[in-house]
Amino acid sequence: MYRYDEIDFAFVGERALQFRDQVRRRLSGELTEDQFKPLRLQNGLYLQLHAYMLRIAIPYGVLSARQLRGLAQIARRWDKGLGHFTTRQNLQLNWIRLQDAPDILDALAEVGMHAIQTSGNCIRNVTTDPYAGVAADEIEDPRIWAEVLRQWSTVHPEFTFLPRKFKIAITGAADDRAATLFHDIGLKIVRGRGGRTGFRVLVGGGQGRTPYIAQQIADFVPHEHLLSYLEAILRVYNLHGRRDNIYKARIKILVNALGIEEMRRQVDAEWALIDKTATDLPPHELERIRARFAPVPLTAAPARNSDIEARRRSDTAFDRWVRNNTFPHRVPGHAIVNISLKEPGKIPGDASAGQMDVVAGLAERYGHDEVRVSYQQNLVLPDIALADLADVYDALVAAGLHTANTELITDIIACPGLDYCNLANARSIPIAQAIASRFADPARAEQIGPLRLNISGCINACGHHHVGNIGILGVDKKGTEHYQITLGGSPGSDAGIGDILGPSFPAEEIVDAIETIIETYLALRASDTERFIETYRRTGKAPFRDALYGTAGRQARATVEKLENANA
Amino acid sequence: MPAVVTANVLHTGTVVYLDRHGRWVEALDQAAIAETAACRASLDGLAAAAVARNEVTSVYAFDVNLEGGRPVPRSVREKIRAAHAPTV
Repeated sequence: MYRYDEIDFAFVGERALQFRDQVRRRLSGELTEDQFKPLRLQNGLYLQLHAYMLRIAIPYGVLSARQLRGLAQIARRWDKGLGHFTTRQNLQLNWIRLQDAPDILDALAEVGMHAIQTSGNCIRNVTTDPYAGVAADEIEDPRIWAEVLRQWSTVHPEFTFLPRKFKIAITGAADDRAATLFHDIGLKIVRGRGGRTGFRVLVGGGQGRTPYIAQQIADFVPHEHLLSYLEAILRVYNLHGRRDNIYKARIKILVNALGIEEMRRQVDAEWALIDKTATDLPPHELERIRARFAPVPLTAAPARNSDIEARRRSDTAFDRWVRNNTFPHRVPGHAIVNISLKEPGKIPGDASAGQMDVVAGLAERYGHDEVRVSYQQNLVLPDIALADLADVYDALVAAGLHTANTELITDIIACPGLDYCNLANARSIPIAQAIASRFADPARAEQIGPLRLNISGCINACGHHHVGNIGILGVDKKGTEHYQITLGGSPGSDAGIGDILGPSFPAEEIVDAIETIIETYLALRASDTERFIETYRRTGKAPFRDALYGTAGRQARATVEKLENANA
Repeated sequence: MPAVVTANVLHTGTVVYLDRHGRWVEALDQAAIAETAACRASLDGLAAAAVARNEVTSVYAFDVNLEGGRPVPRSVREKIRAAHAPTV
């Protein structure tokens, strides 16, 4: 994995020192809040519902064991011993004191981390496939390019004050595990003529109040010209993106206003003007970065391990965990291990400092010192030998990290919602907890099969509700929290934006409503292997709507009757 | 509508409420309740002075109901803030 060089360390250290002085000036009154706010946001420090919140960048979701221990130590010393992993593959600490922020940035810098560009109208932390570099279905490791983009976009003077924030996701695999179609720019590594690799470039995707699936602007950009091509897109956006209306400022609005043909024409015209020699990455720089991502030297082993198979036969919980939480590795005899942060009843994406230490320890002992954060708010050990799976599992059991629910109904993405967030209209976490508890029986969750359920506490969609197979959006209805259900969204290669099913439900009815949808799906599905999304796309929303609002209607009538009887 | 003035302590971010002596307190029960325009204006003046002294930031007022003389926020948001903790 990439390790900071002296330039990186010097830069991050300098920024931490700069912020220390800015905080000092704010606390002494030299800076007003209006003057200070953009400075703290440039360092990821928000003022949230209860306290300051620090959003720490985890570049493309990759951490070393030392970095994860560093985060645990910060959570323990300056927060409440907890961290929240986000859908941007970042970490948020919810109980930060402004006076401690400079020391925290110093502690981050010590482990080669920071909170730069986790806020503001700049190019945010580039996200990627959490299985990058190890997935069996990958053409090329996208982390190399994510790191190239990190270096290129960090305090890029031209793109520090864009019309709005800008998010880039990149994948090198056949299966899109990075939701690239829902980013301002989505990059997919593809093979061109002669087998050389390049990028299919998609632009204008996003969620929020106006969800769009990204459209293809280029079918193949040679990798040596990626930076100049992205620069051309950003220049067109920087020039024409709307700065007069925050709700219309994202590039998705521009792309859809211009049309993809006109957008392509303008980008190509801009690209033709750019001095590519000065802008594109020199080959030796690419090789320097590529060398940092040399594959971990693993020894191939038989694809089946007899000890593991024996334990699977005798231990149903272990068998379930292997079945749901391990994924094919490019090297036989190894597995990618998904560590669920979604134990039913717990807060999705939260990990205690102790749990972070446990995962760091496992990475050191068994995982070649690497941990990933997925946008589904889980952790990943990318390089585990099959022979070590049982030891890893036993350690996860001891730490309460063994929930076997990857991509099942209880693997819920949820934003912090109104429990923490200043923007939220409704709570997300208790709804996620209640749904996960209802479906906590692992056998039932497996019987239901792969299902992405996502919850956002407001239309900003940090919980990705638009792309949930089942999406739940919290809304404020005359001062009470209500929840609107969408069905049919998908974040992957089969991208879709969910359809609103009907009127919203109060909190106390939402879990029953979800169960009705699930029961309807189970009754409708053509076979045990037809996934929820497949059934929904085959049947459309009518049977779900009828089941749901028929039930709700009956419940409403029963409530009215009960009240009438009580009053009689 | 009765209202209470709230803010965050600048140094720590802690949620606080303005009491009738112009002090910032963490317990909503101890907050001054503005029931008249004059009272509200007086609290706003105290809050502005506290901002100028760099004690607090993000000042605003929110509506409350009075239940047994105690302020109860009308919005879920302010109920959660007043608890100084998430509901989960």
